[in-house]
This record gives sequence, structure tokens and C-alpha cells, in this order.
Amino acid sequence: MSGADQKTPGGKTKFTYYPGCSSQGSGKHLDESLRAIAPKIGIELEELDDWNCCGASVGHIGGGVLPNTALTGRNLANAQKQGPQDVVTGCAACYLNTHAGNEKIKSDVKMRRRVNEALSAADLSYDEDLQVRHMCEVIVNDVGVEKIREQVTNPLTGLKVAGYVGCQTVRPFASTDGGGQYDTYEDPKFLDDFAEACGAEAVPFDPKTSCCGGSVSVMSPDRTLHLIKEILQAAKDAEADVISTPCPLCQTNVEMYQDAINKKFGTDFNIPVVFYSQLMAVAFGMDPHKDASLQRNTIRSKKMEDMGKK
Amino acid sequence: MSVALPAEAERTYDLNFARWVYRNVNGGDKLSLCMQCGVCSGSCPIGTQMDYGPRKLFMMIRAGMKEEVLSSNTMWNCTSCYRCVVRCPRGVPVTYILQDLASKAVEFGYAKKEDNTRFSKAFWWSAKTFGRTDERLVTAKYYFSFGLVEGIRKGLGNLKIALGMIKAGRMHLGASHGVKDRKGLQAILKKAAEIEAREATES
Amino acid sequence: MDRKPGVYLCEGCGIAEAVSVDDLEQVASGELKVPACKRHAAFCSEEGVALIAKDIESGEVNQPIIVACSPRVMTDRFTFPDAQVIRANLREQVIWTQPPGEEDTQALAADNLRMAVAQAKNSDPPVPHGEGGASRKLLVVGGGVSGLTAAREAARMGVEVILVEKGSALGGWARKWSRTIPHRPPYRDPQPNGIGDLIAAVEADPAVTVMTGALVTRTAGGPGDFTVTLSQGGKETSERVGAIVVATGWRGYDIARHEYLGYGTSPDIVTDIEFEELLANGGIKRKSDGAVPSNLAFIIPGDSERMPYSSGVSDRVAIKQALQVIEAVPDAMVYVIYEDLRAHGTAEEFYRQGQEAGIIFQKGRVKSVAADLTVTLDDDLLGQEVPLSGLDMVVLSTGMVPNSTNVDLSPAEEGADQLADDIDPAAPVKVARGNGEDEAEAAETSGNGAAENGAAEEGGEPALPGGPILNLQYRQGPHLPILAHGFADSHFICFPYETRRSGIYTCGPVRRAMTIADSQQDAQGAVLKAIQAMRAADASTALHPRVGDLSFPEFGLDICTKCRRCTVECPFGAIDEQDDGYPVLNATRCRRCGTCMGACPVRTISFKNYSAQMVADMIKAVEVPDEFEEKPRILVFACENDAYPALDMAGINRHRISPYIRIVPVRCLGSVTMLWISTALECGYDGVMLMGCKTGDDYQCHFVKGSGIAQERMAKVGETLKSLALEEERVQVEEVSIADSGRVAELLNSFAGKIDEIGLNPFKGF
Repeated sequence: MSGADQKTPGGKTKFTYYPGCSSQGSGKHLDESLRAIAPKIGIELEELDDWNCCGASVGHIGGGVLPNTALTGRNLANAQKQGPQDVVTGCAACYLNTHAGNEKIKSDVKMRRRVNEALSAADLSYDEDLQVRHMCEVIVNDVGVEKIREQVTNPLTGLKVAGYVGCQTVRPFASTDGGGQYDTYEDPKFLDDFAEACGAEAVPFDPKTSCCGGSVSVMSPDRTLHLIKEILQAAKDAEADVISTPCPLCQTNVEMYQDAINKKFGTDFNIPVVFYSQLMAVAFGMDPHKDASLQRNTIRSKKMEDMGKK
Repeated sequence: MSVALPAEAERTYDLNFARWVYRNVNGGDKLSLCMQCGVCSGSCPIGTQMDYGPRKLFMMIRAGMKEEVLSSNTMWNCTSCYRCVVRCPRGVPVTYILQDLASKAVEFGYAKKEDNTRFSKAFWWSAKTFGRTDERLVTAKYYFSFGLVEGIRKGLGNLKIALGMIKAGRMHLGASHGVKDRKGLQAILKKAAEIEAREATES
Repeated sequence: MDRKPGVYLCEGCGIAEAVSVDDLEQVASGELKVPACKRHAAFCSEEGVALIAKDIESGEVNQPIIVACSPRVMTDRFTFPDAQVIRANLREQVIWTQPPGEEDTQALAADNLRMAVAQAKNSDPPVPHGEGGASRKLLVVGGGVSGLTAAREAARMGVEVILVEKGSALGGWARKWSRTIPHRPPYRDPQPNGIGDLIAAVEADPAVTVMTGALVTRTAGGPGDFTVTLSQGGKETSERVGAIVVATGWRGYDIARHEYLGYGTSPDIVTDIEFEELLANGGIKRKSDGAVPSNLAFIIPGDSERMPYSSGVSDRVAIKQALQVIEAVPDAMVYVIYEDLRAHGTAEEFYRQGQEAGIIFQKGRVKSVAADLTVTLDDDLLGQEVPLSGLDMVVLSTGMVPNSTNVDLSPAEEGADQLADDIDPAAPVKVARGNGEDEAEAAETSGNGAAENGAAEEGGEPALPGGPILNLQYRQGPHLPILAHGFADSHFICFPYETRRSGIYTCGPVRRAMTIADSQQDAQGAVLKAIQAMRAADASTALHPRVGDLSFPEFGLDICTKCRRCTVECPFGAIDEQDDGYPVLNATRCRRCGTCMGACPVRTISFKNYSAQMVADMIKAVEVPDEFEEKPRILVFACENDAYPALDMAGINRHRISPYIRIVPVRCLGSVTMLWISTALECGYDGVMLMGCKTGDDYQCHFVKGSGIAQERMAKVGETLKSLALEEERVQVEEVSIADSGRVAELLNSFAGKIDEIGLNPFKGF
């Protein structure tokens, strides 16, 4: 569904890459592993110049609707300067806000006028119709799962993976035309397909689209620990070795609160939570540290690290 | 800045409030499509912790219960999971409406000094100041918004997590990241706020 | 005419594999001595049909008894112009419900053959009762939307019409209004009601004679030959018409009776009818000060009392009026307060339009409307009481009360009890006790059951206000029968336009609350039925549901006791009494259900091809095993309309049914006479079940009252059984619907089980 494929001399498809704020903190390992696997699956990522925050799920509260949309407008105006290629991001919240803002600007003449008026304060304007896409959608629609399978040199045989999709990666755009119609809201399959393409076993995992509490978990974990507990419990019941997720916030929430959950509920969870891109990096036989960034998981997966050493 | 709230009338229920929400809240125009089926509330992961689920909140809007709606904690408990949005049989953008109601609650001084209000303020401060979110500073600012003692207590409560993140290289310790063109970004945000304010007085 | 039966044993569809056709042939030729008996691999094939046709042409056979599939199928193949076809059901009700090759299966097949032969022996081809000459003129009563549409549609089909309107002008309610609920795609905006064009078209049509300020003062006769007396300006004229369409419409529901709604306490609390006139006259203004209102609430109260008169209509009217307010006063706040919002079908689009236009739909039970227009609702969804104040106009939904009587007339003494009896859903069925002892008994025991016991309702209040619309000169009274809530009796799903007076069709809001578009469609339907009725009267054939049937009941007056059961019980008022007390049939009114036949205590009413004797002989034709064989026999009278098809469906779905069941199709349970029950028990049957349609005010009975009358009769059979020292449970009545294929099998099997518990009939073998 890409709007303007830009093939590079190496036969790769070029994208303007929007890493998002988490890439500089809690979600570093998503950013690093994505950048590592991209060339393997025929994608060239060119970082969006001077990108700013997307506003995430609370930006509107402090800012308001138009300032929040203007944040997206600034990113798009900068992307436009870099060329007509699609904008891609690996972060669920960045995708949600930037995609939604972009669609709104494209479909609502008045909104575009207002955003451009705001952008004019920095001599910027956004006049084109770029596409803003999620990395998972690009892999499903443009790359294809087959391509992943082809790149696997170190199949993750015997690794049981619980595919935890979370919310904003699929909702509310996965089944829309703008969102590339790449999977369903309630029972998405792509994450399991990714794991299996890597040679791992995707275990049945009911809460695949349950909510980890999102930003409420960051602010007031007491209200949402039970949500994360259910996710962990299901993974444990399915005897998963790791939970795989595409979302940086999900990864952090599900990983870092395990101690607190164990304390509150008397459980003994210690389940690694990794990104699908880390699975791929290991399966592609890439460096477990430099490419797969396995050392950035606070709960380390020994099994994956052992597989990476091969 | 939004169109001013309808003035407080002498009655308990403000008939104009519903119309105000329909016209001024993002997604509010779709609120009239709500048929009160309750799929939103049933789908909500932490609806049980809200004062009122989305369905009931929408009904209260129709009944004109301005005070109760704007001072409720419903919006502040929304995790933005968008389950209600994709499931609503009438296409009501529930999450968006809640988000903008939260924004309006802050704007018109209804939001209580709850955790989440502080967090979103801290978050916006970072976005506005640096153009990017510095998780460390947002968290710190958030904690210390409760006061020094409470901030240290909360911060220590999560010390183990923070140390883990630092060890894994996921918490940045140096100067804040930020956009290069901070001035430009701040000018854009200032202008956007001005536009909203201008429009509010025009209508 | 000599009866020349011939048996045609079909071997197709697995019949020959499941039963011995040789043995059946032996039964036909040997035991029953039917002269002609033939077999074929598939009688429904070209060759098979030709075989039967050849025997008929040669004069060898005039009663082909086709022993094959259900009489409900292959009717086009097995129709022969000069022969009376009799069918024995061996497929659906034998081989598809029984295990193949069993002795009991063979016995069931043989009994079905025996019953068919007995049926043939008692059956003659019907002779038409009339000789044509029916009137093709249509009388339409009521000049509103429904009546005008009926007149216009009939005229378009080449029918001459007399349109009688009570008021001084045509157009009814719609004439005072402008826009109506949308009935054309996209079903979004109120559309012009088109009444002006409709009136003009009718007035200009040479085929329509319009009489305003006129009444029907007398109606006699029947379909094809009604004599109506019309009164206009004190002058009476008489007309002969073939059919009548009654479109007398509605009047407003009196909302003031619900005091909590505050009607009358403020000039700014108005009804939707009043508001509609405001809209049509171009001004939404408060009555109190002439100001344009800016905060309005439309209230759709949830009262069950009002609901029958408004359901689905006033809801859409409220949406329409609210939309019109928003259109005229864009800044207005418009609430629609409802307890239940009935916006079905395409009205969903209209509802959405209302939502999108900004109508605030508020669900709640209105508790009070104060004189200062504060509306207080009890809100289930909020779980609290919500007072809405600051409103400057309140519009109350009312309802459409059917004009099933003429309220301008004083209640007719005669006939009032007819309506009282009709309107009470608890006593929807009237059974005559007749004269002599029975009548004395009736007076003693009930006091309100008998037809002629007088008083309408306790306290002497008439059941409905006003006098009769047509003033029918019928034995059963001057009114059109009504059903619950005073609507004209009609079956709302299956045969909506049929009344219980043949040739007279109701349409529009006199039948149920409906919109202008619904009324117009309704009028079209009623006109088509009226034209059918005139044609059927001309051809002497029956109307719905026995369309095309030429048979009709004949009365053997030599033994008639003038008990009047038939004249009172006929669901269609087809039978009148002569001055000497004997019954007289108005054949074109008759629907051929046989309820009179079932009512007649001396069995002197019969059809050429359906009689008490015929069915009694069919019952006797079954071979009932003696008590030592321990094989019971259970007789089932199955209504042809729903029960029999359901039994066929049970076969199609391969439900197993007890092999001891013997099924006799009947035209209606109303035609079942007590003689058949006693004959069956005397012959040694162990149980009898009647399977018919649902009764009551939501009846499914195709003859409206037949099934209910049968139930009343059977309620008394227990006494008779007890006096014979037989168990009451041996006779059962069951209501089934056409969709009950699984249930009929269960009912029969559990009844067989019960008979097994009770034990065999002690009269067996006597």
C-alpha cells in the first residue's frame, strides 16, 4: 500500500524513519534491532531530520488538540523535505498519533490550514500527502513473511513465544484502508507469523491484544498491575520462554513491573519480554548484543542469548 | 483554548452542556450517535476503576451534568487502548472524546490534582521545552510535583526499576535530548495555542 | 355420478424399498376390492401421469387415489380436470418417519391406503353454488390517505369505485399537514405527504364517485352482492357493490388521561398532533406568548396503555418533528425523551439522521411534566432521577385510536355485546350453547358466555363508543369484528387485510397504528384482496385460505333442530337465520372451514367432499389391533394449514414418530365434530390428539376462531370421557405452528408414551 516506494541503488525500499522518544530511553533495543534487521529485509531507513515528540497519549491534555496536531505537522513538514517516501515508525504511540494526525490533515482542509498557520511560525509547511506507516504493517504488506523466513540462518527452534500485540499497534488502524488492512483488531496473527518465520513456536496466547495499562501504568501502576499480571499469567500458563511485542511501552510495562506484581500478588514471574525485531536479529544470525540488543532487557532471556552465541 | 463553557445556570442539570460537548469536544459531534449499548464500558480494561464508564458518562453529558462529567476520573483512567473505538457499533470515537474531555477539564479547572494531571503536565513540559520526551525528567518532575518528600518516597519506591534501566542502558543520564530547532518548535506550539484561542472567541 | 376409484401405488422415492407394495396391492384389490390398481416406479414422471390420465380419459377411473407423496406436493402434476384426486401420504408420513421393512411400518402404510379409499367412497366433486353475475363495483369507506389510495388504485385497475367520506372534505388528517416520515431512499429527510395531488387525482377520476358528508347506514348481502344504503344530506340511496374497503382511520389518543404528563397545565405543553399543525402552518411558536422556542423536549411516554396506539409511529413522528425544529430553528436544543424508541427497518436511517442533526436522545421514564415545563425522568441508564428544566416547549406523543366504530353515532343497542365479546382477549372465542337444555345450562353456569345474554360489559358501558360503520345486517351483529385494543380484527402477519366479514377489507390505521406510507401500501393490498373477492364470488370459489375451493356446506334441514350453533359459531358470520329459525348460508361469505359442520349436533351439515360421515369412515377404515397384540392406535386430527405441513416437515427432517399414530387431515380444528372422537374411542383407538393453530388475540388460526372453538368444545370432552370410565388424558389438543417439525414429533411420541402408561382402551374389541 506504500504511497511512494523509493528504490535505492541496492534494490532496497527507502523509508523516512521516525524513531520516537522511547528510542532514546526505554525502547532503545527496539530502535537498535530495527535498524539492524532493516537491510536484511530490503529496507533502508533514513532517520527523520530533527524529529520531535508525537504527543503520545497524554500530549493533548497538557497541550490541546491543535498544538498536539502541530507536533505531528512539524514532523511531516520535515519528512516532506526528505522526499516522497513513506514515513515508518516502530513505536505504537508514534504511529497512532502521527498516522492519525496525518490522516486528519489530509482529509480536513480546515485542519491543514490551521496546522500550516502554526507551522509558518517556524517557516515550515506540510502540503503533500505522505503515508505514515507502522513497521509491522510494512513487514506484512511490503516485505512479506516469506522474506523473513529466507533470511533465517539461526532458527529459534524450541523457543516458545507468546505474541503480545498490545493495543495501538493494531488499534484503531490495522483494519482500515489507511492502516493498510494488515490484520484484525481482536485476533491479529502477524506477530505469531513473525515468530514462526524465525523458527520459534508461537504458543496460543489469549490476551494478545489486552491492555498493559499504557501511560496509566507509568503514572499509577497500582491501578493497572492486575492487567499486566493477567498477561504474564497467560504467558506462564502457555509455558512461553519469552513474550514478544512490537510496542515499546508494552515491553517496558510488562517487563519492569514483574517484581512489583510478584510482591503484590505473591507470584513468581520472571519472564523476558522482547521485541519481534530482537527475535529476528537473533534468527538472522546477527550479533546478539550489537544488533539484537539483548543486554538491554532487564529480564534477560538465557535461551535467546544461548541461541545467539551459536 | 476552547469555546467558553456555558455559564452556570441555577438548575442542577445544564441543558446547554450537551450541545457544548457536541460542538466543542474533539469527536463530540459523533456522540449523538451513541445508542447506549455499553460495548465501550464492557470493553474497557479498567472501566471498573472509573467513576463512570464511558457509556454512563455519555448519558450524563446528554443529561447536562456538567459538574459531574468534568470532575469525574473517567478520562484520567483511560489507557488509550482504543478497544472501545474499534468496537463501537455506531463509530463513536470514544477514546478521542475522553482525551479531549480531559483536556477541557484541565482548561476549565475541573481536573483534580490527581496523579495523571500532573503527569500529563510534566509530559507536555518536556515536549514543549525539548521537543522530545525525556522519560527520566518527566518521571522526576512528575514525582516532585507531589512535593519534595513525597517525590523522594515515590522515586525510591521505583529505585530498583530505575537502576535496572540504567544498567540496561535504557535510562539516559546526561543532558536532555531535544530537537535542534527548539525555538522553531516552541514558536509553532505558541502559534497553535493562539489559533485555538482566537477561534474560541470568534465562535 | 358413479364413483370409479382407482388406486395408483407409487414405488418411487424409496417407497418400494421401505414397504411391500405387493402387500399394499393386495389390500387395495383383495381386501378393499378397488377395481383398478396400478403401480409405477414414479407416478410423478411424464409416463406415470400419462398412465393416470389415460384411465381417466377412458372413463375407467374418476377418483384416482394416488398412494405416493404428501398431498401438499406435486399438486401441479396430479391435477386432472375431470377427476377427483385423493392422495394417500406414504412418503413424508410413513417411510420418512418409520424404519423400513418393519411390520408396523407396513401396517401404517396399509392404513393410510385404507383411509384414502374410505375418503373416496364418501367424496363427490363439488358443484359451484352460484352462476356468476357478481358486482365489480367497490365501496370505499373513508376519504383519508388510506381511502383515497384505495379508490385511486382500484380505479387504476379498472374497477368502479364509490368513495364515502363522513366529513365535508377529502384528505383526512393529512390535509392539515405538510411533511411526512420518509419512505423513499435514503430515508433521511421528511418528505411532502402528497395529499393535495392525491385528492386531485381521485376527484378527477371518472371511475370514482366521491360522496362527502355521507354515511353507510345499512349493509346486507355478501361478496359480489352487497346491498349498501348510503345516506348523504338526509337522502338515502341504495347501491349494489361487490366488495368493501373500510379505511375509517383514527382519532387522537387522549393524552390528558395521563395526568403526570401535565397536558392542560400549560399552553406550551402540546400534543404531537397539535405540533404537526403548527409545523404545517409555517410557525413553531409557543401558544403562551408567540415566541419561537429554543429548548424543546419531545416526550414519548412508555405507557403500555398508549403503546398499542402509537408503537413505531409516534416515535418516528417525534424524530420528524424534532428534525423540522432543528431545520427551522438551527440553534434550538431539541431533546427526544423516550423509554423505548421504536424506529424499525428503514427508520433506523431516519433515527441516525436525527442523531447526526444533533437531536439529543434521552432515555428515561418520565415521571412528571410540571406546569413550568420541568420534565423529571427516572433514568435507568444513569440510575437516578434527572430533572430537565429550562425547557420552553414540551411536545407529547399521543397515539392513533382506531375508528373501528363511528363515534358520531350513539352506541347501537344491538351488536354492542358483539364487540364486548370480541374485545376481551380473555374470552376471544364464542361458543353457542344453542337452545333447550343447553341454553339453560349456559345461563346457569356462566352468564356471559352465551351469545345472547345481553349486557355488553359490567356496568352497562359499551365496549367501544359509537355505532357501527357499515351496520351489517348479519346474524352476528352490525359491527366489523374487532380484536384487542379495539382495532379491526386482522391477522397482522399472514393475512393482514382479511376481516372476519368476507369481502370486507380494512386498511390503514383502523387496523393498526401506521404511517402515511404504510397506510398507502396497506390500501393497495386491501384493494387487491377486494378485487380477488369480487372475482372469486363471480366464480363461486372460496377466498383465503381455501382459494379456489368450490365446495360449500349444505344443510339437511329435515333433521335440523334450529339449535343455531352454526349461525353463532361461524367465524365469518356467513350463516344467517331465516324467520323460521332455520339456518341459511350466504355462500360467498363462506370460507369453507367446516366450523359449522363441527358445531352441528345432528351432523346434518356437510360438504360434497368433506363430511362427518366421510371422516368417521376413514377412522373406521384403520385396522385396530386387538388388546392381545398390545399395539395401541392413536388418532390425530391435523389441521391442514399448519399442523399437517409441520408433520410433513417432520418426515422431511427424518424425525422418528411412533408407528401407532394415524393422521387424518382436517380443514380446521373447528370442523372436528364430537362424533369423530366418540367413533374413534368406540373403535378401540387408545388416544386422540387434535393439532391446530394458536388461538387467542395473537391467533394463528387461518379461520380466526376455528381452533379456539375446537378447544372450547374439547374442554368439555373430559366429562364425557369420565362418564365412560375413560381417562381424560386420552384426548388432547395441541397448538402447533408450521415451523414446529421437531416439536410435533416430540408431542406425538410423548403422547404415545403417556397412552402406554395409561394402558390400552378397555373398549377395544367391543
